Amino acid sequence: MNQAPTIFLGVFLTFASAWLGLVVAPYLQLAPQRSENTVASDAQDRAPLGGLAAQGRDVYRANGCVYCHSQQVRPEGFGSDIDRGWGPRRTVAQDYVGERPVLLGTMRTGPDLANIGARQPSATWHHLHLYNPRITSPGSIMPRFAFLYERRKIIGQRSSAALKLPPDWDLEPAYEVVPTDDAKALVAYLLLLDRTGALEEAGP
Amino acid sequence: MTVAYLVIFASFLLFALSVVLALSWALRNGQMKNFGRGATAIFDPDEPIGTVTDSFPSTQTQAERSEGPLHD
Amino acid sequence: MTEMTASAVLSVADKQVFARQRAAIDGSARLPVLGFFAGAVFWLLAGTALALLASIKLHNPEFLDSAPWLTFGRVRPAHLNAVAYGWASQAGIGVLLWLMARLARAELRQTRLLLLAVVLWNVGMLVGTTGILAGESTSIEWLEFPPFAPPFFAIAFAIIAVSAMVTFRNRREPHVYVTQWYLIGAVFWFPWLYTAANLLLLYTPVSGVAQASINWWYAHNVLGLWLTPIGLGAAYYLLPKVLGRPIYSYQLSLLGFWSLALFYNWAGVHHLIGGPLPAWLITLSIVGSVMMVIPVITVAINHHMTVVGNFRQLRYSPTLRFIVFGAMSYTAVSVQGSLQSLRTVNEVTHFTHYTVAHAHLGVYAFFTMIMFGSIYYIVPRLTGWEWASGRLISFHFWTTALGMVLYFLALTFGGWWQGLEMNNADVPFLTIVQNTLPYLRARSGAGLLMAAGHLAFAVLFVLNLLRFGKPRRGPTLFVERPKKAELALTVEPAGS
Repeated sequence: MNQAPTIFLGVFLTFASAWLGLVVAPYLQLAPQRSENTVASDAQDRAPLGGLAAQGRDVYRANGCVYCHSQQVRPEGFGSDIDRGWGPRRTVAQDYVGERPVLLGTMRTGPDLANIGARQPSATWHHLHLYNPRITSPGSIMPRFAFLYERRKIIGQRSSAALKLPPDWDLEPAYEVVPTDDAKALVAYLLLLDRTGALEEAGP
Repeated sequence: MTVAYLVIFASFLLFALSVVLALSWALRNGQMKNFGRGATAIFDPDEPIGTVTDSFPSTQTQAERSEGPLHD
Repeated sequence: MTEMTASAVLSVADKQVFARQRAAIDGSARLPVLGFFAGAVFWLLAGTALALLASIKLHNPEFLDSAPWLTFGRVRPAHLNAVAYGWASQAGIGVLLWLMARLARAELRQTRLLLLAVVLWNVGMLVGTTGILAGESTSIEWLEFPPFAPPFFAIAFAIIAVSAMVTFRNRREPHVYVTQWYLIGAVFWFPWLYTAANLLLLYTPVSGVAQASINWWYAHNVLGLWLTPIGLGAAYYLLPKVLGRPIYSYQLSLLGFWSLALFYNWAGVHHLIGGPLPAWLITLSIVGSVMMVIPVITVAINHHMTVVGNFRQLRYSPTLRFIVFGAMSYTAVSVQGSLQSLRTVNEVTHFTHYTVAHAHLGVYAFFTMIMFGSIYYIVPRLTGWEWASGRLISFHFWTTALGMVLYFLALTFGGWWQGLEMNNADVPFLTIVQNTLPYLRARSGAGLLMAAGHLAFAVLFVLNLLRFGKPRRGPTLFVERPKKAELALTVEPAGS
């Protein structure tokens, strides 16, 4: 009546093999990668994010941006990511070195953001879009992140950081909208999202 | 790449081994002998094959039912 | 079969021995199983509320969007974790513990520790869910609970696993029924998955895209090696038990279990097709996903042939109706899953609402409906009290069944179209978004239906615990079963 140990062993071995194939092997293969400038001038230096951008990444994580936005460009001929201008090439493992967590995403309720920094380099645009997405993108279903901004009464002069809202969206003249540190950090992070540099791993 | 291939190969070996182990246990233990017994193991003389059992408390008397299930 | 004629000769007293043994076993399981079920029902309601919120926010983005803790990006993972670990896992644990005791024909062990496990699990849920809403989500899908929550689940699960295995070890029934294999597998697989994934992604995270592979190995296996075995195990026991007919082919059930164990493991990375992972890894995953057709067809044949000829019983038995719905959904979602892992299909469906529909076909139409059916069978045997209203159970069934069908159709069509448009670079992105709106609204409608069903279920559960209403003479059925139908069941099993 020694069924339990044998069932246990069978289940263990089955599991162990998938574990080795799906977990250990990729880790061994991928984890030791360092960011390399394998092609001279074009390659982006994928140094780990510091300071404001790292903080911004944290804001991205805390607010679940990943549930609507992916950060991966599919290869030419598989979907139309490249034709849509989401990147000049597919993204590869090296594009994500050093990231914790990796924010590949699995939904595109909104567009892919792998190269949003290259595609939309205007901080002003990003602040307006985050404050109320429908200012820059009519028909968007993205929620407002107005809680990352401060609506306050103008004291003396308008702040230089204040959002320049279009006439239809503007507040009363006495008020201004100013980004909080979290908003500035998030935009700094978004502006660094750029995986357009050529990499050997990505092919010609 | 070599590491990956070695790992995959080892995994397939482990797979095959586990299936062999499980089957050998089943044969040794007599699990493969009486499939009729296996399939009928869940029935009882008072909940036999042929009787629908979505019929909880109906065969008990009122007194037994109000007592509820037996306590430890 | 000589066993059957022998039963006709046994006296009432002899039969009572078995009834009493069963009652003793059910009694031993009562508090922990009801505890897990109560936790499950609570989180079903909480998860449903979060689901409705998330769904409405997608077509009405400015709905309740001023507070950070209510932003879609927090509500959506809160919903997922509430229903996956709060509802589905706890319902599954309750069913698992009861089944292990019943099949062992032995009392459930370590019941006091199990009560501690109930508390720990639900505290972990509370801590984790509020953590997500507070902005501490890890943003790792299916593992969003911040690092201070998993230890609660780890300890609780250790208790559950020990109880299940000790109960098994002390069994009186020598034969190991197919359900027991599935449950032993589940109880072994889940802690391994949970510990490994939490270690490698949360506590000592690996770097780079290896994370993605581990993430989806975990998330997909939670479905296939934790929830699926419990759901299938419950169906393998309850279908024959309710009908009074043995499983059609025991050999097939063997094949089904081991092929599930072999192939399911590999399928997880199909969530990353087209992504920045090595091609061989993704191909391997596609192969595993397609091979899943073998266990799925096996189970489908077995279940169907067991029920065939007795579909009229669906008119009477709540348990049967929910479980048959669930079992058929298992076949549907699994075949769909195998198809979705093929590159040509995946090219369209990846990143769209189609995947969300598929996920709900699995966790809801398959697993949740089987859990509903199982709970309808188990609870009266634990409390000694029948369900208060057959009509309310019927309401529960129709709202959830129709709600799920509407949900699936809306997001499958909407998602497929979304995918086709997304692959056409001439269609502006915002146009695609606008085109999904009617389907997203339909999904909210479906969600309202399902919510109504869940409320009915919760009411019935509480009423049963409170022993509300008059004691009943017979089981709570949808419609009273006429005597004739009972006689019609005395057909020979398999081969008639």
